[in-house]
Amino acid sequence: MEDQSISQSAPAAEEADTSQSRGLSAGVDDQLAPSTGGGKPRPSRSQAIFSALHSLLVPFLAVVTALLIGGVVIFISNVISPPVSTSPLYGNSPFNLTLRAYQGLWVGAFGSFDNISATIVTATPYIFGGLAVALGFRAGLFNIGVEGQIALGSLAAAAVGFNPAFAGLSPWLLVPMCLLAGCLAGAIWGGIPGLLKAQTGAHEVITTIMLNYIAIQIVSVVVNAVKPGNGQVRTPDISLNAHLPVLIATSTGLKQIHLGPIIAILAAIAVYWLLWRTTSGFELRTVGTNPSAARYAGISVKRNIMLAMALSGLLGGLAGAVEVTGVNFYHSQGFSAGYGFDSITVALLGKSNPFGVVIAALLFGALKSSAPSMQFYAGTPQDVVSIIQALILLFVAADEIVRYIYRVKSRGEEKVVLTRGWGG
Amino acid sequence: MKQRKFSYLVMVAVLFGLTMLMSACDLGGTASSATPNSGAAASNTPAGGAATSSTPATAAGAAIRVGLVTDVGKVDDKSFNQSAWEGVKGAADKNGYKANYIETADQKDYATNIQQFVSQKYDIIVTVGFLIADATNKAATANPGIQFIGVDQFQDPTKSPKNYTSLVFQEDQAGYLAGALAAYMSKTGHIGAVLGTDNVPPVYRYGEGYRQGALSVNSSIKVDTIYHEDNNAFNDPDWGSKTAGTLISNGADVIFGAGGKTGNGALIGLAQTAAQSGKTLYAIGVDTDQYLTVPEAQKYLLSSATKGLSDGTSTLVTMAANKQAPGGNFTGKVGLAPFHDLDSAVSQATKDKITKLTSDIASGAVKTGVAPVKPAK
Repeated sequence: MEDQSISQSAPAAEEADTSQSRGLSAGVDDQLAPSTGGGKPRPSRSQAIFSALHSLLVPFLAVVTALLIGGVVIFISNVISPPVSTSPLYGNSPFNLTLRAYQGLWVGAFGSFDNISATIVTATPYIFGGLAVALGFRAGLFNIGVEGQIALGSLAAAAVGFNPAFAGLSPWLLVPMCLLAGCLAGAIWGGIPGLLKAQTGAHEVITTIMLNYIAIQIVSVVVNAVKPGNGQVRTPDISLNAHLPVLIATSTGLKQIHLGPIIAILAAIAVYWLLWRTTSGFELRTVGTNPSAARYAGISVKRNIMLAMALSGLLGGLAGAVEVTGVNFYHSQGFSAGYGFDSITVALLGKSNPFGVVIAALLFGALKSSAPSMQFYAGTPQDVVSIIQALILLFVAADEIVRYIYRVKSRGEEKVVLTRGWGG
Repeated sequence: MKQRKFSYLVMVAVLFGLTMLMSACDLGGTASSATPNSGAAASNTPAGGAATSSTPATAAGAAIRVGLVTDVGKVDDKSFNQSAWEGVKGAADKNGYKANYIETADQKDYATNIQQFVSQKYDIIVTVGFLIADATNKAATANPGIQFIGVDQFQDPTKSPKNYTSLVFQEDQAGYLAGALAAYMSKTGHIGAVLGTDNVPPVYRYGEGYRQGALSVNSSIKVDTIYHEDNNAFNDPDWGSKTAGTLISNGADVIFGAGGKTGNGALIGLAQTAAQSGKTLYAIGVDTDQYLTVPEAQKYLLSSATKGLSDGTSTLVTMAANKQAPGGNFTGKVGLAPFHDLDSAVSQATKDKITKLTSDIASGAVKTGVAPVKPAK
């Protein structure tokens, strides 16, 4: 019955898609998702480029502003409590140290091939996590549970990876098994709040937060049950056959580019394709923008909520699985601390657009992986990176501030419906 | 449209400016410490001259450089990281080395943080905590020309290279001192210890050392050592606090808390009970001087069973700088922290006995008789 009504409404949906991309959805869509109908004249190439630039403008200015204010913070911190290292910082003025902090950031993130590799590897979980949150946003759902989904995805992948029964399997089999286990664990953990919301109306913000705590405790129990006898609270190492292949080696053998970043890019393309090239994606977005209209058009809101949360959780689980098979090679208690929450920032910074998320994740990867370098060169506390991240989020979320400072006019169409209120 | 153009102008100008800034200036730090008088470094760091002249220059003109990588946490954590850094800095200030540190934010950064110092050709790299031991061992194997010092990380010398020396402590000795002190101070003849899991060898050694130390003073004393169950052993302050309360209501008047936040919970629990009941109760902390880390318990904190982290780190750094680092496990000194607020509560006779016991343990005249790990049942 449900299916029938959907198939009947499909042509109508196609029609609606045209007006959708013009009016309701994010401005970025205009370039990335050319409408299928003929109602709108195609923009010229230069207009398209200009428009694409324009949609990048506010996030870019937000980052620049955050870095400038971050510089002031570093300067003040240098004046109040000068770095205690005796070399090579000793005797530098606070202003010099501030400059050096940002030089350290640059060098740490992009200064050498090894550092670029570290940036990309660090960015990878943020791509998955950002996609997970963004997908939820597009369906009008705020998945705060990515943290727990990453943890369980990582644990599930590790559990398959270190299981002696599978150790002899070929990498061609074992690696996909680990990734699938992670996806499944994440999808279940994301699907539960989806189911609860669809069936009972329980708000996903509350249920996902609570499920985070449960996930952390599950991890604690499992890890304590299987920990190796070396005093470390973690799972045993996964089998070598479960390691993601290294694509580009670094001179140090550390943070080498593995298959994960490629999977992440493919995931971004897949999310884009799903949302803007399939009927299911259109339904998801319609539910996200206006559930009443969606219901009126014969789209099952419940089904789409469950689907969106499960897919969102799947991406979160994949983030954990890739991290375990590509970087950590075991799951330790508290490994994912913060990824899930930073992912929300990444999704917001990327304007919930899959490719925007990739760029935002790379920025986060650069910030995170260069923090030690900032400290090395300028004695800058690594918390400064968190401050810069928070400032970026502030300026992106409240983009009126940036628009006001730099006199950028709003085009009035770049709003994404992030989430709806209680019971919405 | 005008406003739009303005913002693009800003965008391009900022990008251009940043690129220029990043590419034009080199990071004087590496250059200035290697070749202090290179032009780029001098122009970039006006105060650079002062820096080099204020440090006693060695004959070769290049000071020994010491890098420290912390365990996850901050360098001013008033605990292991801070003690190790103070040791490094002390040795550096005294001997004219240059010292720098990187704080580790995430376990997976251990290796890259060590690598940062390796790639800048530091002479000595100090790492803190046993979780970083694997990464340290690998880096030491890959870089035989660099001396590595692992603070509080036990190593298997047959599997570790010669340029890797671990600073270890005999926790049973520190526990023994704490137990002796507790026995001297107890009025009820009943003391207790609230500990993390005895499956972690250092915790077992603290607990059993405490028991043996107390019995050495008073063979009829009642010693209750309560270990947390395995799960979440170091992160359960509520349990620590409750267990301390139970011990006190059973008659114990000195409690030794050893086991991360669980142990701290016991110290705080004792302080709360003492404040409410007005009983004379004493708490003893662990590892570092916990008067500084657990302010809630200051009024009742008698002392702490400490590892000489600063002293040991400083010694090893100096040895490594003189190419005399022994390799393998190097046993540091243990002792008791100052009595602080309770100094007047401890009689001079007790202080003298503790001082003598400390030196007897260091010399080996007194043995604790504690097995290194919990014997299998």
